[in-house]
Amino acid sequence: MTIGLIHYLVVAAILFTLGVFGIFLNRKNVIVILMSIELILLAVNINLVSFSIFLNDIVGQVFALFILTVAAAEAAIGLAILVVFFRNRGTIAVEDINMMKG
Amino acid sequence: MNSIVADYLPLAIFLGVALFIGAALMIAPFLVAYRRPDNEKLSAYECGFNAFDDARMKFDVKFYLVAILFIIFDLEVAFLFPWALVFGDLGWFGFWSMMLFLGVLTVGFVYEWKKGALEWD
Amino acid sequence: MVTAAFFYLFSGIAIASAFMVIAAKNPVHSVLFLILAFVNAAGLFLLIGAEFLAMLLIVVYVGAVSVLFLFVVMMLDVDFAALRQGFLQYLPVGAVIGVIFLVELLLILGTWSIDPNLVRTPAVGIPTQAVMTNTEALGVVIYTRYAFLFQIAGLILLVAMIGAIVLTLRERTGVRRQNIAAQTLRTTATAIEVRKVPSREGV
Repeated sequence: MTIGLIHYLVVAAILFTLGVFGIFLNRKNVIVILMSIELILLAVNINLVSFSIFLNDIVGQVFALFILTVAAAEAAIGLAILVVFFRNRGTIAVEDINMMKG
Repeated sequence: MNSIVADYLPLAIFLGVALFIGAALMIAPFLVAYRRPDNEKLSAYECGFNAFDDARMKFDVKFYLVAILFIIFDLEVAFLFPWALVFGDLGWFGFWSMMLFLGVLTVGFVYEWKKGALEWD
Repeated sequence: MVTAAFFYLFSGIAIASAFMVIAAKNPVHSVLFLILAFVNAAGLFLLIGAEFLAMLLIVVYVGAVSVLFLFVVMMLDVDFAALRQGFLQYLPVGAVIGVIFLVELLLILGTWSIDPNLVRTPAVGIPTQAVMTNTEALGVVIYTRYAFLFQIAGLILLVAMIGAIVLTLRERTGVRRQNIAAQTLRTTATAIEVRKVPSREGV
């Protein structure tokens, strides 16, 4: 029994779906939404790396490396915005974030 | 692919042993320990008087800023590893490419130093 | 055979813990399950042969990003029970969309195949492990062929650093700060004053 490309792609698809599902499920909790985004980016990384290996092309891993960088920066800035929002409003409920609505 | 599994087999065995010992030490007390709980034994002990408030309190934001700056420099170091390994074959372009990268991040470092983000008080 | 066993172990734990990330009641548990998911994804990367990315995943995600999440969860004194209200209300819609999404993805996976010519012409081939390790193979291309992407990564990190400082750094007024230079520059002449106190009179 050999593990082929398709196995990795199925794992990535399930992780991606769980991430999307998590955004729907925890609509009020921004922290869990950010964690779901991390899961989605992890699924993308698994896809890139498995294609990179099975097509024998290192570029996929280079892009996975850059996605890792962007994901870390995104988490840092996202959580910073969350902290500032909590400091100003005293809550992190997504439903209260509607000041931009006219 | 099988060679990688063989390379990391010691690591897998190590993790297995660590898991086994950790689980054994956590489960053993449930099986052998003498237990007779009462109210006083289970309550929080704080230098002889009752606990003032909940043990879970808010962290200061300063920890958070340190953690963010740690992430940034963590990634900077992560980019340094492959560079250091192939340093001899890269040539001048690769060298200056990394110097520019480090220079850009040094600008950020100078900014945070001047701004006082590294001060603890 | 061993590879297959490890693959199913890692992917099974990764998917189970990813599910727990979105289903756990306590956000601290969510973060811990996120760490477990990342560790197992690193195991998957190791199995497939991307050693550098596997280690990077552990160093960056488990070592830094998850700690950041943990800090934020502990820093914000939020009533998380209130945030879970409506969890069940969103469950049907989320489940329908999630299932449709998953089925679509799996249908794509089941029906597609790789163009055989694509495999023969990679942009940058992967050298075998005997010639060059995975980390070296990455290093050969990142800093020269993909130098622009590399510089953009540096700029993104710079923006993240400055943005985080601008957003979260608070100037505190009325705090007395320690000035180490002033402390060490003190001499006997500036610190001590010798006074002649007449005896038997008091000060």
